[in-house]
Amino acid sequence: MNTASITPRDTVRRKSALTAGQRTAKVTSRLIVGSLLAVYAVVSIFPFAVMVGGALKTNQQIISNPLPFTSPPTLQTLADTFDALNVPLLLFNSLVLAIGACLLVLLVYPLAGYAFAVLRFPFKRTIFAVFVGVLFVPGVTVLLPVVILDQNLGLYGSPLAVILPHVNGSAAIAIILMRAYYATIPTELHEAAVLDGCSEFSIFARIYFPLSRSALITLTILTFVGSWNEYVLPVLTNDDPNRFPLPVGLQSLLSSNVVQWNQVMAAALIIVVPIIILFVFLQRYFINGLQGSVKG
Amino acid sequence: MLSFARWDGFSPDWQWTGLSNYTDLLGGDIARSPQVVNAAAQTLVGMVVVPIAVPLIGLLLALLLNSIRRMRALMRTVYFLPYVTTGIAVFYAWRFMYEPNGAVNGILNAVGLDFLSQPDGFLGNVNTALGAVVVVQVWSAVPIAMLLYLTGLQTIPDSVIEAARIDGATSARTVWSIILPLLNPITALVVILQLREAFQNYQVYLLMTNGGPVDSTTTLGLLTYNYGFGAPSDFGYASALGWMLALAAVVLAIVSFRILRSRQ
Repeated sequence: MNTASITPRDTVRRKSALTAGQRTAKVTSRLIVGSLLAVYAVVSIFPFAVMVGGALKTNQQIISNPLPFTSPPTLQTLADTFDALNVPLLLFNSLVLAIGACLLVLLVYPLAGYAFAVLRFPFKRTIFAVFVGVLFVPGVTVLLPVVILDQNLGLYGSPLAVILPHVNGSAAIAIILMRAYYATIPTELHEAAVLDGCSEFSIFARIYFPLSRSALITLTILTFVGSWNEYVLPVLTNDDPNRFPLPVGLQSLLSSNVVQWNQVMAAALIIVVPIIILFVFLQRYFINGLQGSVKG
Repeated sequence: MLSFARWDGFSPDWQWTGLSNYTDLLGGDIARSPQVVNAAAQTLVGMVVVPIAVPLIGLLLALLLNSIRRMRALMRTVYFLPYVTTGIAVFYAWRFMYEPNGAVNGILNAVGLDFLSQPDGFLGNVNTALGAVVVVQVWSAVPIAMLLYLTGLQTIPDSVIEAARIDGATSARTVWSIILPLLNPITALVVILQLREAFQNYQVYLLMTNGGPVDSTTTLGLLTYNYGFGAPSDFGYASALGWMLALAAVVLAIVSFRILRSRQ
């Protein structure tokens, strides 16, 4: 058969057959993509589901069935955990540490980031390299000197013993983040402000700082989460149960011989929920801030 | 300073020992140097698995997420959750899942993979404990890799991919020969971050296994911690090992920066 014999109708039919084939291919590929995404979503969320499920079970129920969402839920475990742990006090202590660290970080590192991004001063590159290099020094290495220093400064037991090292430890990431963000702000803005007679500090305070909202939110979340989850430092610098933050309180639930996993899951849930709420509300800024620092 | 002495942290005087802490750890002491070798081997497992698994899964997720329109924001939030919540609470949720009658065994039995389930729990078996903790490390690191890759994918102009498609490249071919090379700098960044993380992280091991069973999950970081704050604490050994770690980390950092710079 030669090409001349193909009628317009044949062409149309072949075309539609092709699109039908393409359509099935498209549908299958969509199905594959969708199911892969769903599988990882389950992997990603499963531990949280286990937490919620566990926190809503009695001890008997959790021993007989560790999977989430299968038995009639009870609120008794949450109530028991509140009694066993003095949750309001732990929550308060955790908040003191986290908010203290956030305030200090927001006070210091945007200034540092501004200096590295905008100002000119001798050895700028070297000093910045040192700050970035600190990122690579293992936390354990400095843990010992930090604890001894805390003791020598008479900070043992005070919230500052945890806050100060924590703020210091987040220097590298905070400065990199803020510097990357400030570097994206056009220098014309700075020049115009200088022409208008603005001092360096008021340029920072009035222009750069307010402009960097998403970077600041990112920094706040990173710091808050870091110190909210901090377990080692409070343990090593504090032996007064009245000053324990949530993670240390959680640990005490496991010190008994028979671990009541339902209460552990309830306590874990209490620790995680504030972070999730914070993240869900601020995630747009948070993720933009992180992405911005990569692009910049 | 401390690394040249022997000190338990309480007695008023230090006992100067010069370099002996270092030589002891590196082979001089028959009790301590095997511990260091063992810990180094276990750290190395993490340093190989995590920097390979994290970019692979992160990239796959980013590519999949990038190919859909609907629910992208929701999925991104869901996937990102492990990164922000990583900490003691999540480690305990995993510990509970790894229990002998925990969720992981439950699922394996339910789907007929009984032979994979662990009657002593995944953290109770010498052969599975390290792998189980590494899985948690990967799980909590994948989100940041995914986000970095998503950022990278969004900077690739559509016209480049369009051109490839017109030239008749399949999707797999486009990913392999065009998208991947363009994402090289991000891959390098992810690998370096994860190398550092796998090298330094000791909290996940401290809270999930505390090195057990029989030292099968003791990493260098955890060993340092235990020398310093374990039952018979010896600050001298702790800081000697700490210094060696720091030195190794600095070497790692310098090598990393070299690689990053040459890639860009």
